[in-house]
Amino acid sequence: MALIALILLPAFGGFVAFFVAGKGERERWVTIATFALMLVLLVAVVATGAEGRWYDKVSYPWVPSFGISLDFAMDGLSATMIALAAGLGIISVMASWSEIRTQSGLFHASLCWTVAATVGVFLSFDLLIFAFFWEAMLVPAFTLIAVWGHGDKEGAALKFLIFNAVAGFGLLAASFALAAMADHMTFSAFELAEMKLSTPVQVWMLLGFSLAFMVKLSVPPFHAWLPEAHTLAPTAGSILLAGLLLKTGAYGLFRFAPMLFPDGLAAVAPYGIALGAAGALYGGLVACGQNDAKRLVAYTSIAHMSIVLMGISAGVHYALAGAAVEMIAHSFSASALFLLIGALYERTHTRDLRQLGGLQQTAPKFAAAFALFCSALLALPGTANFVGEALVVVGIFQVNWVFALLALSTLVVSVIYATRLLKGLVFGLPQPKPPLADMTWREYWPILVMGIGTLIIGLYPQSLLALLEPAIKAALTQTP
Amino acid sequence: MTAAQFAALSPLVVLALAAVAAMMLVPLARLQIVQASAAAGLGLAAAIVLLRVGAPAAPMGALFTDDGPARFGIVFACLVSLGALVFLRTGHPAKEAPSLLVLVAIGAATLAGAGHAATLFLGIEILSLSLIALFAFRLTRQGLEAAYKFLVMSGLASSALLLGIALIFAETGALDFAGWGGRGALTAFGTALLLAGLAFKFSLVPFHMWTPDAFEAAPASAATLAGVVSKSAVAIVILRLALTAHLPEPVWSEGLAALGGASVLIGNLLALRQPQLPRMLGYSTIAHSGYIALIIASGTPHAGEAVLFYLAIYAPAMLGALCVSAALGRAPTLPDLHGLMKRRPLEAIALSLSLLSLAGLPAAGGFIAKLFLLRVLIDGSLWVLVGIVVAGSSLGFFYYAKFFTAPFVGHTHDESEPLPQLDRGLLIVCIALIVIFGVAPAGLMNVVAATMAP
Repeated sequence: MALIALILLPAFGGFVAFFVAGKGERERWVTIATFALMLVLLVAVVATGAEGRWYDKVSYPWVPSFGISLDFAMDGLSATMIALAAGLGIISVMASWSEIRTQSGLFHASLCWTVAATVGVFLSFDLLIFAFFWEAMLVPAFTLIAVWGHGDKEGAALKFLIFNAVAGFGLLAASFALAAMADHMTFSAFELAEMKLSTPVQVWMLLGFSLAFMVKLSVPPFHAWLPEAHTLAPTAGSILLAGLLLKTGAYGLFRFAPMLFPDGLAAVAPYGIALGAAGALYGGLVACGQNDAKRLVAYTSIAHMSIVLMGISAGVHYALAGAAVEMIAHSFSASALFLLIGALYERTHTRDLRQLGGLQQTAPKFAAAFALFCSALLALPGTANFVGEALVVVGIFQVNWVFALLALSTLVVSVIYATRLLKGLVFGLPQPKPPLADMTWREYWPILVMGIGTLIIGLYPQSLLALLEPAIKAALTQTP
Repeated sequence: MTAAQFAALSPLVVLALAAVAAMMLVPLARLQIVQASAAAGLGLAAAIVLLRVGAPAAPMGALFTDDGPARFGIVFACLVSLGALVFLRTGHPAKEAPSLLVLVAIGAATLAGAGHAATLFLGIEILSLSLIALFAFRLTRQGLEAAYKFLVMSGLASSALLLGIALIFAETGALDFAGWGGRGALTAFGTALLLAGLAFKFSLVPFHMWTPDAFEAAPASAATLAGVVSKSAVAIVILRLALTAHLPEPVWSEGLAALGGASVLIGNLLALRQPQLPRMLGYSTIAHSGYIALIIASGTPHAGEAVLFYLAIYAPAMLGALCVSAALGRAPTLPDLHGLMKRRPLEAIALSLSLLSLAGLPAAGGFIAKLFLLRVLIDGSLWVLVGIVVAGSSLGFFYYAKFFTAPFVGHTHDESEPLPQLDRGLLIVCIALIVIFGVAPAGLMNVVAATMAP
């Protein structure tokens, strides 16, 4: 029941925020309270959870004649992702405090509903319920971009919706095909994992699933929707997109590919690694050429998600662990950078690296925050990103040294774009001329939390790895 | 006539009486009373059928059937017509409209129970003739054009239908669906003509030309009758033909699949660049007919359930969208919708949710309908049709998305009058149905499964 409450709570909170909006900041506080309650509930579930891998596991019938049931289960990976969802939700409210002034009620409702749907994705083990939440998160996220974005926001939002919704058909078709092959109609991943399918069939099914996951991960060549969506979305939208929505793709791949299609995954693994390596290099190189700070960070997301893909495809312990850590590390670093760039944009009305600079003299807090997260971007030892990327590279060395060298070279590229970002913003002559206000507490606290998170995971990765270990082991041994 | 037979036919009798009563009240009473008498008839007819749920099918002879789909069709036609009646705005001299609306419901109810060429033709003609009058109702140039277009093309379609029936009769010697079959050239040609005639009423490409005009020019409630009531009745007839008649195979199923596939693609393509809400809905309804035709053409065991399920989910979405369109006055375009959320939150939410459902995105019922559609096609391993559906729905996302965000951006001011209480109630019912079907579809799923059970 608690797992369903975790989904219903933000869904309901969204309605409350929608209806109390008006004078004052009620809808903002309602939204923050909703996410805070979610965190409390999550901690309660984890603390009182049963022994073994699953903290909690429930199953209720939804459409019995179709074999669809509400199969929810939570292990360390789901719990981490849900904590991330709620935390980023609070941060999004803080980041949008002064940016969003029109239709604030609907904005916060969309925020809540995006989080509710992603929590559904992280908990569902029934493939159709998974697909339901998978597509459900597109609608509020689409609204976030289309209504409160900048520039050609509707075009960007449409591109986001269409790429992802069309890719969702792959997931749906493969789910139906899987259910049709089962001896009785069921969509439960636990039951479908018991089936013994031939390798070619597994490859086809995996390709169907992967279509959805790759587009969400935005691995080239499926990335075309991402730069615009990230650049034109409001700050909170960018935070949720980079920190949460991209992760649903990684999560799906991590969770379902080894569980349902072990042989298929092994068969396509070399292609997955190659695609990941190409994507990481491509994303990194294109990021180096960007002048728009937000666009630069958007392209680094492509690179980092490609590294996650490499890790999952490699399928060895180090690489899987690295991929899982990188998912969380990237959420922190990318969300923090989007928040910082958004805050800077509110003050200067530009994101052009050539028109900015000298933050170390005008706004030291900004400069320190940028310095921290740029070092996370280039995976400096001591940051969570280092742990993730290093583990992936070590894992890939065990599989194929050529790809490992390619993966290493992406780390070199990351140094270029991270220093370029750092140089453009922090160093040099103070630009623009009138000195700008430093960060307010509302901007500062989220950064502090994410910075501490990045450093804790970077310096003491075991804290996170212990939580993720059961899920990693399950993916490694290919058991449900 | 036995009591059971009378009970099975009594909804039609009640509807006929209501139509006559509404007509006779025109010179005597105010419009509200005319409307109330029509509404009472529709409600009573639906209630009679609902009271008979679980009763065994009455033996009816060849003309009319009393099976699950027929009962579903009658209730569906009555309830949707009742919804359309709510936002039927009639001018001063046109108090006959409620009566015509009930006539459309009679046509649809007859069609839903038709098991014989005579009732098929009768039902279609009652439907079409009343629709022509309703289309022309505003007496504007466009309204007359739409009615005229429909009149001419409807006549053509009816002749095709009649000739088709005649050719099939010439070979099989039967007029009831169960007696149709055979493989000769005459039946094949007759089936093709029959299909063409039905496709016109079902607005399948290439017989779709009248639909967008009617949606644009006719009052929104007439569009509801054409787009939902008459269409669902035709869908049930086509379903019954697919289930009971053994029409020659390469023509029937593949012809239906070809028409359906073309409608999905062309309907969605034409809707793509439509800036006008009713016209866009008109094109999208062509695409939805295509989806239903594909379900029937698949011939898989669950096709019947899927058709009824699709109709039940499609109705509140279309009803909601058209009611909002009627509330905004003549043919609202995209800029007219801007800022609707601020001026009229209920309409904005109803419109956005309806379009979300038509687009097939989750939390709205349309997603489950899409699941059912995909399941039926995948069960039959019809991968080409799956591809067509995916391509069509992807195109659909484009134009639905444009319209469902429009109410949340920009500003315009509003001169139209506030919505009457009844319309508000209808919108709330539509919103509730869309959400319930989307979040808890098991109930509806059981209903359609029970309806299709022999």
